[in-house]
Amino acid sequence: MSVELDPDAALMLRVKQGDSDAFAELVEKYKQPVMNVVYRMLRDATEAEDVAQNVFVQVHRAAHRYQASSRFVTWLFTIARNLCLNEIRRRNRHPADSMDAPHPEQEDAPWHQYEDKAAFTAPEHLLHGELEEKIDQAVAELPENQRLAILLCRQNELSYEEIAKVLGCSLSATKSLIHRGREVLKEKLKPYLRTGTWRGAK
Amino acid sequence: MLNDPLYKQLLEQSWQRKLTETEESRLRGLLESHPEAQTHWDIEAALSEALGQLPPAPVSSNFTALVLQRLERESQTRSRRRGKEWQFWRKLSWFPTTALAALVLGVGLLTYTETRIVHRQALLKSVEAVSRVASLPSPRILEDYNAIQALSTAPAADEQLLALLQ
Repeated sequence: MSVELDPDAALMLRVKQGDSDAFAELVEKYKQPVMNVVYRMLRDATEAEDVAQNVFVQVHRAAHRYQASSRFVTWLFTIARNLCLNEIRRRNRHPADSMDAPHPEQEDAPWHQYEDKAAFTAPEHLLHGELEEKIDQAVAELPENQRLAILLCRQNELSYEEIAKVLGCSLSATKSLIHRGREVLKEKLKPYLRTGTWRGAK
Repeated sequence: MLNDPLYKQLLEQSWQRKLTETEESRLRGLLESHPEAQTHWDIEAALSEALGQLPPAPVSSNFTALVLQRLERESQTRSRRRGKEWQFWRKLSWFPTTALAALVLGVGLLTYTETRIVHRQALLKSVEAVSRVASLPSPRILEDYNAIQALSTAPAADEQLLALLQ
């Protein structure tokens, strides 16, 4: 895609030249999509925010390597995916109780409650909606690659080819991952989806 | 699930986004001719809607500022580290000169020692050669050397006079 067609690539070229305003613009634009993916991959708000910030730091650090021929968003989500997988691997190597993870006797409690952060009202909203909680939980229980494929699929910016690029697998494998993930979700959420409770809840 | 390429295509589109008007009408036509696929489609559509209803992840209001701060901190750390490295090398600036001087001194010392060893070996050889001459005749045999040498230089005999005398 040419630089004229992709405004993000144009911004990245400015970042390459040391323009911090262009970088701030990119962060502002993509912080929510990146956090949506990272948060649902890691299931820990503090770690998710730390990793999401690190994604942008990595973008800035690797700006000189960015090729305008590839779409910025693909590159961005590839970095996000790598950092998420690193974090998951690190957790597996050093399993420790997360400050945000629910205690066994508090399974139904919200994962985190923070003050002074306006955006952190979303999990509270999640607490009040049983259906939202159910689907959130069902997504969280998916295997990592299926979860990531489904989350990326919900990002309007990415085509299936681009999702395949981010996941580092073929187009058919990507569609298969999404299909299998959705089958699992349908199975888990069958009662809600069949009765139409979800639609009624809105 | 309906095994129709168009159905599959529309299904895949619906996983990502809402179908357009045209796509919706194509889907309606397809479902009219295959009513058995209606239930499958409804569940798929309900799941897509449910996924779409997931609340956005919490993002702190100062996220961008925190990222920029982190970059700033990183750049400061990098320049501090570079400064420390520079100081370290500056502290070691005497080292190359001293090393060169030590090298020159070392080479000089080595050359001097080598030369001395060679000289001593040559001297040793001379002494050895002289010591082998111990079996030569005594100098006393050269006592009449000058007289004998003088004999060899005496004038030749007057052969004409000798002939007349005979």
